[in-house]
Amino acid sequence: MDTSDLGHHISRRFNEDLEALRARVMAMGGFVESQLAKAITSLLEGDSSLGQSVALDDLKVNGMEVAIDEECSRILATRSPTAGDLRVVIAIIKTITDLERIGDEGEKIGLIASRLATMERPENKYREIKHLGRIVSTMVHEALDALARLDADSAFRVARMDRVVDEEYEAIHRQCITFMMEDPRTIRRVLDVMWVVRSLERIGDHAKNICEYVIYMVHGKDVRHTRLEDIERELQARSRKAD
Amino acid sequence: MAGAMQALIYALTRVLAFLLAGLLLGLLLGQITVGLLLALGCGLGWQLVNLYGLDGWLRARNRRAPPDLSGLWGEVVTNVVRLHRRKRYHKQRLLDVFRELRHSTAAMPDGVVVLNDNYEILWFNRMATRLLNLRRKVDVGLRITNLVRDPRFTRYLEAGDFHAPLEVPHATRDGVSLSFQLVPYGRQQRLMLVRDVSRQVALESMRQDFVANASHELRSPLTVITGYLETLVLDPQMDPALLGPLDEMRRQSDRMNQIVRDLLELSRLDAATNEAEFNPVDVPGLLRALCGDMAVRPNTATVQLQLQSDAGLLGTETELHSVFANLLDNAAKYTPAEGSITVRWSVDAGGGAQLCVADTGPGIAAEHLPRLTERFYRVDAGRARSAGGTGLGLAIVKHALEHHGARLLIESQEGVGSRFICHFPVRRVLPDSLEGSIDTTTPAVAAGT
Repeated sequence: MDTSDLGHHISRRFNEDLEALRARVMAMGGFVESQLAKAITSLLEGDSSLGQSVALDDLKVNGMEVAIDEECSRILATRSPTAGDLRVVIAIIKTITDLERIGDEGEKIGLIASRLATMERPENKYREIKHLGRIVSTMVHEALDALARLDADSAFRVARMDRVVDEEYEAIHRQCITFMMEDPRTIRRVLDVMWVVRSLERIGDHAKNICEYVIYMVHGKDVRHTRLEDIERELQARSRKAD
Repeated sequence: MAGAMQALIYALTRVLAFLLAGLLLGLLLGQITVGLLLALGCGLGWQLVNLYGLDGWLRARNRRAPPDLSGLWGEVVTNVVRLHRRKRYHKQRLLDVFRELRHSTAAMPDGVVVLNDNYEILWFNRMATRLLNLRRKVDVGLRITNLVRDPRFTRYLEAGDFHAPLEVPHATRDGVSLSFQLVPYGRQQRLMLVRDVSRQVALESMRQDFVANASHELRSPLTVITGYLETLVLDPQMDPALLGPLDEMRRQSDRMNQIVRDLLELSRLDAATNEAEFNPVDVPGLLRALCGDMAVRPNTATVQLQLQSDAGLLGTETELHSVFANLLDNAAKYTPAEGSITVRWSVDAGGGAQLCVADTGPGIAAEHLPRLTERFYRVDAGRARSAGGTGLGLAIVKHALEHHGARLLIESQEGVGSRFICHFPVRRVLPDSLEGSIDTTTPAVAAGT
């Protein structure tokens, strides 16, 4: 299914409803992205007021989730969509939950950042967080791009990036343990850093979930809890069939 | 025309010839009607065959050579061929121009995206694909806000005010900044120009850093100089002849201190990327304290405070304080002692709040008004310096107000006076009902002044 499919509705109003819904989800995604970027910046630059403002703005994300959720229920109740449209609505309901969770993790990072800003900064200036943060923000960005384009192939590519995030998470974990063993005075700070890294890793998972919804939306195939190799085989088989 | 006439005559002769042949055949057979009918039928059949041939050729005229027809039919074919050739020539020329245009826009160093009134993508050039990570063909028809999702960009589109471009950092690339500018054109279409302004942004931030660092570095030597000057002035063994120059030195070093402080304040405001915080500020209390200070200053015009509202503001108190203090200070500086200054605080019908500082000073000529908030801009260099300003006051006012989403309006008439009006948006106004929370902050206000 591609976007042009959406143009073939008998009811033009329904069409507009769906388009508006998509636009709202993308707007929410954009806001969550900016929250995440701000949270990471506040940590890297030791900007406590920015961290606080991220934590405060999470309320807006929650508000958006509730509003979009209501809109989805309204569409389900009044339009009773079927097939592809039903999948779109269902995938959107799931996507906004993950977006809201990403927002929550961003809030956590913001709060920890504003606390870490008052503490001594490590020599590497949180380089590992910068690196992981960049991977994770790219994942979220591309997952949302895939959602906007309904592009299952790039969704799969993004989902595969989650492995890199997991490896990176593992590496930072070990590094943190070493730091704590070397100098127990840093334990407090390093524990906070670990929370941030944990949040980033969770955000990667949520981005991966969004990609799975995109694959579900496009192919009607639920690929959650499936191994990546199986998904890939499935996608290839489908694209061959399409040819 | 002559050819057509000839063809017509030829055709008519042919009809006549047919009829004649039919008549002869009829006479031979002894039945004239049948002969004539046969002749007419043959003629009609021949015309139909020609028409069929013409139609077949018209349908496939690009592939088949024109049929070789005689008489009027031949004329028609020639005309069609001529028309067709002319049309093809014009089409080709138009296409060439169009292609040329497309190539030139595609090769433009700026990203160009054509949007319809619904902000759906209609076309974009190569640079836009690179800057915005758009994909050719796939992204046509998508809403631009679905792909460029930065909330600031969405707000820019919603606000619909496309006079100034919008600068936003790139979504995925670090250190890259993009500038967006929308130009409405034609029938409900919009041209979106995207430019990579990383260099300008980097230069701008370097400039900001430089000013901040330079001011900071100047501060410590200045403190030492001021300190020594102060003790020297108070030294009883000082040569009285030097007291005058020393006093002047002290005054000038104080001024320099003030300039450095203002520069630091400005660079802090410059660097602030997010909006001012939303803390309740008791504006009436702040204004009362400031006007009270003014009243005890010597040689100052009388200050009238008109509090038409008890509303407060949501913002950063130190910044608002410096806005109000700077405006009052300016008014006092330029108004003669016998003049008057009116400070009015009010809430308008729309819920926005307004502070108006009006003086009866000499006024400012219209040509200076737009540049008044520039750093170190002087309307009258000699006089301003004698009044002891830093030349940064209004720049601070403008930046601090922008930080609060507020606007500064300056109205002035030479010889009558000037009015400086700060307009605060509704979301920054704290209605009277929350007075309880204001009271708790009042002591801090008093201490601040």
